Amino acid sequence: MAIGAHPTGTPVPLRRSPGAVAKFLRSGDWWRHLLLIIVCIFLFIPMALTIVISTKTISQFNVAPLSVTFPMHWDNYVTAGQFVAHYIFNSIIISGVTCLGVLLVGSLTAYVFARFTFPGKTFMYQGILVLLMIPPILTLVPAFLLVKNLNLLNTWGALILPYMAFGLAFAIFILRTFYEGMPEELFEAARIDGASELTVFFRIAAPLSKSILGVVAVLNILGTWNNYVWPLVTIQSDNLFPLALGLTAYRQAYYTLWGPLMAGYVIGTIPLIILFAFTSKLFVDGLSGGALKL
Amino acid sequence: MAQSQPVKMRAAVESVNEVRGITRREPTLWRRIVRARFYYLMLVPCFALLLTFSYYPAFSAVYNSFFVFDYGLPSHFIGLANFTELFGDPIFLGALWHVFELTVFGVITGVTVPLAVAEWIFRLRSQRAQYIYRILMIWPAVVPEVVGLLIWQFIYDPDSGALNSFLQAIGHPEWAQAWLANPDLALYALMFSAFPFVGGAAVLIYLAGLQGISKEIFDAAAIDGASARRRFWSIDLPLIRGQIKLNMVLAILTGMQAFIGSLLLTNGGPLNATNVPILYMYQEAFTYGRFGYASAIGVLVFLAVFLLTFVNLKVMREKS
Repeated sequence: MAIGAHPTGTPVPLRRSPGAVAKFLRSGDWWRHLLLIIVCIFLFIPMALTIVISTKTISQFNVAPLSVTFPMHWDNYVTAGQFVAHYIFNSIIISGVTCLGVLLVGSLTAYVFARFTFPGKTFMYQGILVLLMIPPILTLVPAFLLVKNLNLLNTWGALILPYMAFGLAFAIFILRTFYEGMPEELFEAARIDGASELTVFFRIAAPLSKSILGVVAVLNILGTWNNYVWPLVTIQSDNLFPLALGLTAYRQAYYTLWGPLMAGYVIGTIPLIILFAFTSKLFVDGLSGGALKL
Repeated sequence: MAQSQPVKMRAAVESVNEVRGITRREPTLWRRIVRARFYYLMLVPCFALLLTFSYYPAFSAVYNSFFVFDYGLPSHFIGLANFTELFGDPIFLGALWHVFELTVFGVITGVTVPLAVAEWIFRLRSQRAQYIYRILMIWPAVVPEVVGLLIWQFIYDPDSGALNSFLQAIGHPEWAQAWLANPDLALYALMFSAFPFVGGAAVLIYLAGLQGISKEIFDAAAIDGASARRRFWSIDLPLIRGQIKLNMVLAILTGMQAFIGSLLLTNGGPLNATNVPILYMYQEAFTYGRFGYASAIGVLVFLAVFLLTFVNLKVMREKS
């Protein structure tokens, strides 16, 4: 605010910069800020509460369950970490392998659908789109029987392969649109230089689609990371549990030991916080930029 | 290498022609399939996965629903008997009513609250504040669903839960309840575990819609002296109808299929007061081993979801 101008044109003394504050009050922004801050407080209360309780001993919790108490017992995190760490490791492997598989197979498939014509293409592509309409709950029971017949029960294969199949449809849908938008000249030039189709894909198409692959990867990881029911029915061994399942096992073991329990919940949230810290801009821009509507 | 050069060249020219839609002679279907063999080869990994883990389970779900198929026993065909049994099953009918209540509540809150929040954010003057609030709204998505529910389980805990402690702290210990153990309250407790009902994605979808409205329309409205409220009803609301539709469909889809809340917080109890069809399907299959009956529930829910989405899109399209 360099020069505060009165509506009538009379210059206003700049000393106390009345323009900014008055404008702010008149615009009605102050009550919007107020409401939004209240919403944010409610949004973050559960997590804040969890962090507050995670530093309490049992006696501190019994005296003051909801307020911050001193001294803070960070050793709860050590107790919880010993329990939760290997679930996190398991989840990183499971979600990571799934994500890599989906990116590799999905981008190759999307590329073929986007850039070539061949008999049966439309039919095959629509066959993939139909899968987007089938909710995972419909297939919960038969998929369990299938995995059981394939002798995959209680292995990570029972998680990773169905996760990949489930993630593929969406990945192909997003990536195909992207590859279709790439200029044909890029590919023509490479082909005339004698590059094989696979070389064209790996050396030109894939590197140019890094950002969209990133979006697909994040969405895929969010989906598999939070899945609870599928591992619940297919995995029995505690040492193979992914995080979501491990946390409920941890709850059963530490019920009423609220301090270490809440510390475990906080630790369980950290990996996604790290992922999100690096990708939230990507995510927010992606959802806001594209005009999503029906 | 040198020998294969002309061959590669021809292939390159051919594929370029193909993309451009230039064909010299219409080749037979078989020739076209043979020529495209390499493309089919690249599709093999994808379709191998999809056929095994997506198409086959989907078909066998429908197939199993016509069978008595109990765990470890031979199965036999019974036609529609599973479905007729379902509509006489009081637990299933109760579960249908609960999912109806939960979905209606979820749609109302999932469409209106994010819309209000998106409007507040959109009308802020400061671009930076807008951006900060957008990020803040999406951040709670990092808390894993299971963690979120376990925290709510603690909040509702009858002995040491945050809600009862809070009621005690404000001097009304008599208001304390066993929130999840009381059949009259459990379903409402479940509904409110989504509090404050701000789906970060829904807010962003609305904001994208609002940002897509051209500035001239707002300016024209301002010149005509439209109040903020008038602008909302006459400009914003009609122009983001597409986003409202999308959020509504998404809310219906998630509402009909949500059951992790019931599973983790109450396991359908007390006295099936929070049971929903999907949870009932899960219990029938994995507790009682009745796979045929469970498949019938899955098929019914799928049909209901499909029909509702379809009708919703149709009705909305006719209006616009």
